[in-house]
Amino acid sequence: MSEITLVIDGVECRASKGETILQVARKNNIYIPTLCWMEGLTPIGSCRMCVVEVAGNAKLLTACTTPAENNMQVSTKTEKLGKYRRQILELLFAGRNHFCMFCSQTGDCELQRLAIEHGMDNVRYPFLYETFHNDASDPNIQIDHNRCILCLRCIRVCAEKVGAHTLDLEKRGWGTNIMADFGRQLGESDSCVSCGACAQVCPTGTITLRDFVYRGRRHDCDDQVESICPLCSLGCKIKAYVRTGSVVRVEGISGDSPDGGQLCHMGRWWLPKSTERERLSVPMIRTGSSFREASWEEALDLIAERMAPALKADRAGALVSELSTDEELTVISSFFRDTLEMKKMDGFYGNMLRGFVRGLKPFADQGVRPFTGAHNILASDAIVVVEANPQEEAPVAASYIRVSTVIERAKLINVSSGKNPFDGISDQDLRTTEKNMLSLLTALRKAVEGDEDGAAPEVKEIASILRNAKKPVVVIGSKLAEENPLLVTEAVNLAVASKAFFEDGLGVVPMLRAGNSLGALNTITGESDWVSDGHLDFLYVLSTGMVAEDKRSLEAMTRARFVVVHTPFMVHPLVNMADVLLPAPAWFERSGHYCTLEGERRRMNLVTAPTGNIKGLSVIMKELAGRLGVEMQKASAAPCENVYEAKAASETARTVHSAPGASVPFVKEVR
Amino acid sequence: MAKPKIASVWLEACAGCHMSFLDIDERIVDLLDKVELTATPITDIKEFPEVEVGVIEGALGNEEELHLAKELRERCKILIAWGDCAVFGGINCMRNFISAEQVLREGYVETVSTVNPEGVIPGKDLPALLPHAIPVDRAVKVDVYVPGCPPDADTIYYVFSEILEGRIPSVPTDIMRYD
Repeated sequence: MSEITLVIDGVECRASKGETILQVARKNNIYIPTLCWMEGLTPIGSCRMCVVEVAGNAKLLTACTTPAENNMQVSTKTEKLGKYRRQILELLFAGRNHFCMFCSQTGDCELQRLAIEHGMDNVRYPFLYETFHNDASDPNIQIDHNRCILCLRCIRVCAEKVGAHTLDLEKRGWGTNIMADFGRQLGESDSCVSCGACAQVCPTGTITLRDFVYRGRRHDCDDQVESICPLCSLGCKIKAYVRTGSVVRVEGISGDSPDGGQLCHMGRWWLPKSTERERLSVPMIRTGSSFREASWEEALDLIAERMAPALKADRAGALVSELSTDEELTVISSFFRDTLEMKKMDGFYGNMLRGFVRGLKPFADQGVRPFTGAHNILASDAIVVVEANPQEEAPVAASYIRVSTVIERAKLINVSSGKNPFDGISDQDLRTTEKNMLSLLTALRKAVEGDEDGAAPEVKEIASILRNAKKPVVVIGSKLAEENPLLVTEAVNLAVASKAFFEDGLGVVPMLRAGNSLGALNTITGESDWVSDGHLDFLYVLSTGMVAEDKRSLEAMTRARFVVVHTPFMVHPLVNMADVLLPAPAWFERSGHYCTLEGERRRMNLVTAPTGNIKGLSVIMKELAGRLGVEMQKASAAPCENVYEAKAASETARTVHSAPGASVPFVKEVR
Repeated sequence: MAKPKIASVWLEACAGCHMSFLDIDERIVDLLDKVELTATPITDIKEFPEVEVGVIEGALGNEEELHLAKELRERCKILIAWGDCAVFGGINCMRNFISAEQVLREGYVETVSTVNPEGVIPGKDLPALLPHAIPVDRAVKVDVYVPGCPPDADTIYYVFSEILEGRIPSVPTDIMRYD
């Protein structure tokens, strides 16, 4: 890009051609007020707060949309501009209900901040007192159109980042309004994914989230902590606002990141709600149908007493949440696997992870990283979704798919045994039965390779799309992995045949449900599914209480004679099944690392100090080892990163052909 | 020279601005050395004399308030619109989204907790409602605007100090507020 030079407020600024005046000014720490502009969204220049004067041009130009040009002389702070900006603000205040004292967002409002900044001590224009409706139909999100300034940030974030395009404008002139789904109330919308991104970007009190309002303005909060969301493998970066020990608000951060700073419904609602849940603060021991409080010594004594014989009889097991940090997983695996040499260990998503590990293994063996960061879906021009429901498994990945399809015009192909999760926007929708999935995937792969003998017309059509695509991506659902690893292998084969090669790995995005699935797969995931068979004398369960336990895990607990549940919350039905309850720190009281699908090891930070009588995991494990008379061994496997290291470029990947039914051994990478 | 006189009035508002004024604490003693408080809700004098500074707290919502605002304007040299209600209309503007008649019906008849089987709406005994509650400057000329709900005591003190120095102040942006 060619370099240009321009002068803004007397400061000589270097810039690249194509950059806007606003971008250049920000890079050079020159402040220009903005209102409708937002980092990461298409600038529309509608509010006109960012007007600047350019020498030789009689008109005022919006800095957010005007490209910087060589030798431009820009002024951003003249008296004339100040007058116009104040006038704009007065008109906005006169237009609708912008009386701050009864607005939930006062103090957090960008319109208010700008008005004060511009010394707006009165409004010279007649107030209109027009009545707009207050849409309270959604259980979480409230839209008071009376407070709207039509900056269109919500519409843009919903369309450009979330890809839902739920919101748009209706009517014209004074009556122009934000609407959902062609004139519905938001609560009746089919397309809204309840992510709350619209409220996060709203500069006024128009779109608010019931869970967050009146719980503290951003600047009134005691602390703001940057961390990550542990609820799926994307590990979205969050900012948690803390007030009097509660997480009162959670926001996505960095508008220039691929996700545009969005969060999904899980990150937005489940994380803050967790501080309000009933906590387990001391160890408890079951007495009949209820529990009594106990000391750590007593609880650990009892655990060791029941654990020792069970270990000898090989009838002890451990079930650990994949939402745990790398550090926790290391401690757990060093104690159970390396110190006690216990075979029966697994995670709540063990079957899914085993399916992925086995299915991806032939490609990992070739030295390629068998998947790519989910954000690369945005760079893709053909997306195949195989037996996945990204809106539930990794919702921000679903946003990537929608944005790529609707805005970037990528082809979207659904292959599933159930319903199409992208009904309405997919180009091809191929339905089959679970039984025929493997042969269908094989037929697709063969067709892409040029062998179209006897292929159905849709298969030929899809093959043609994939052959012509420059950057195809295959999104593999967790259901596929749970069913049969061979299905995963064949889906990856399809990606390899379609030349889905990205810089960081193969164009495959596995829908790994839990936040630290990649950290769990070589530390706690078992070789086989022992959870579904046999009885146990002892079972240790480490739960984060953030996602519901599946039927399979709960069954294992009912079949165990003695169950220790280590959890931050009084989670039912876990609590009902426990013989001993141990308090654990909640997500906001923990720190550690997560191996995300995005290829980064991201850090979760302590948001509030732990409460209750809590002990660290390593202390607990050490004390148990002492009681069992064993010495703690170092963990033989470190979480994640070297397991799927790219040793060869993804282009070198070859399809693999295994005989149907052949079992793929589950081999752990050990450092 | 005689001390400059101040008159203030509490119109359609909550008295919060006057409360905030009292929050200037012991500085009020200094201020009273320099100025004379005449008709104010604090002194409970009702009749406005001729004053240097008139202060209005509150929006104008009925005929009486409109009359008082005009009267004070006539009898003062500098008029201050004090607080969000006087400056913007404030919380009183909530009623502007419905008609004045409907406001009276809501207030005297339709409120769930009201027992008024005959549906009597007081008329001649009370000042008539204006069609809208309006900011002070919609009726009379205002010289100084002090927004805030309420304005901070420091802001109020600053404004009075500036006027005593012979200047017509604008509230600086670092102490201006709307809530």
